[in-house]
Amino acid sequence: MQRSFHDIAFSVILAALLLATGASLLAAMTLPAGPRGLAIAVLSLAKASLVVLGFMRLQRESRALAGALIGYAALLCALAGLRIALSG
Amino acid sequence: MSVTVPSARLDDSGEAAEGGMELLLWILVWSELVVFGALLGAFLILGLLDRQALAALHAQLDLPLAGIATATLLTSGFFAACAAFGRHPRRCLVAAALGGFVFCGLKLAAFSHEIPALSTQQGRLPELYFLITGFHLAHVLFVAVLLLLVAWRPVPRQVAAVATVWHLVDLVWLLILPVIYLG
Repeated sequence: MQRSFHDIAFSVILAALLLATGASLLAAMTLPAGPRGLAIAVLSLAKASLVVLGFMRLQRESRALAGALIGYAALLCALAGLRIALSG
Repeated sequence: MSVTVPSARLDDSGEAAEGGMELLLWILVWSELVVFGALLGAFLILGLLDRQALAALHAQLDLPLAGIATATLLTSGFFAACAAFGRHPRRCLVAAALGGFVFCGLKLAAFSHEIPALSTQQGRLPELYFLITGFHLAHVLFVAVLLLLVAWRPVPRQVAAVATVWHLVDLVWLLILPVIYLG
């Protein structure tokens, strides 16, 4: 029972990751600089969080490690979004 | 002369060895993240300082191919996660490794038309682009081979360790994408 729950959860996470990838590519090609930076930063952080929390399930072993990985990803995504918003 | 060791002490040393290996794994993971973070930070700064060079670089990058490579790597991460959680570890590790090899093929196809176009450009950005993506490509290739080696005789602890490193490779690519391609 628990095994089938895992299967469904991983499939849903993969679908969410693929959708977010498609959405970030679309945002990169269509949006003006300001909203593009914000959209790409948010979508990239969401993808990184899905990998850490969804695929790795790291929060079960160590919340501190999971938080540190997501914090690291948040910093780089925010800087990338800021650079896109500032310089187009 | 025989030495009798209490079983509790053997259990303790086994746990200590496992803890030590896990610590080493996370030291490896964070050292990789620091190196990629420094390279991506340098790319962001150079991109801000030289916008024309960044625009010229973006004009040569194949965004749809990068999207397909991302989808391939994420699907491969799905199989690594399935293996780590005990669902057909051997088959899932082989599928994850195959995804890694397909990713390498897609990146090499992209390089085949990016290298002639970018080699004529001046400045540090194209060099940094090839350094970051080439370094990541080397990681994908190396860990994909590791996935196959672990798939040969899957032991739960080794499967979990190699899946963690594979997710790290996924995570780094997800950070390369907004910094280099989507800007």
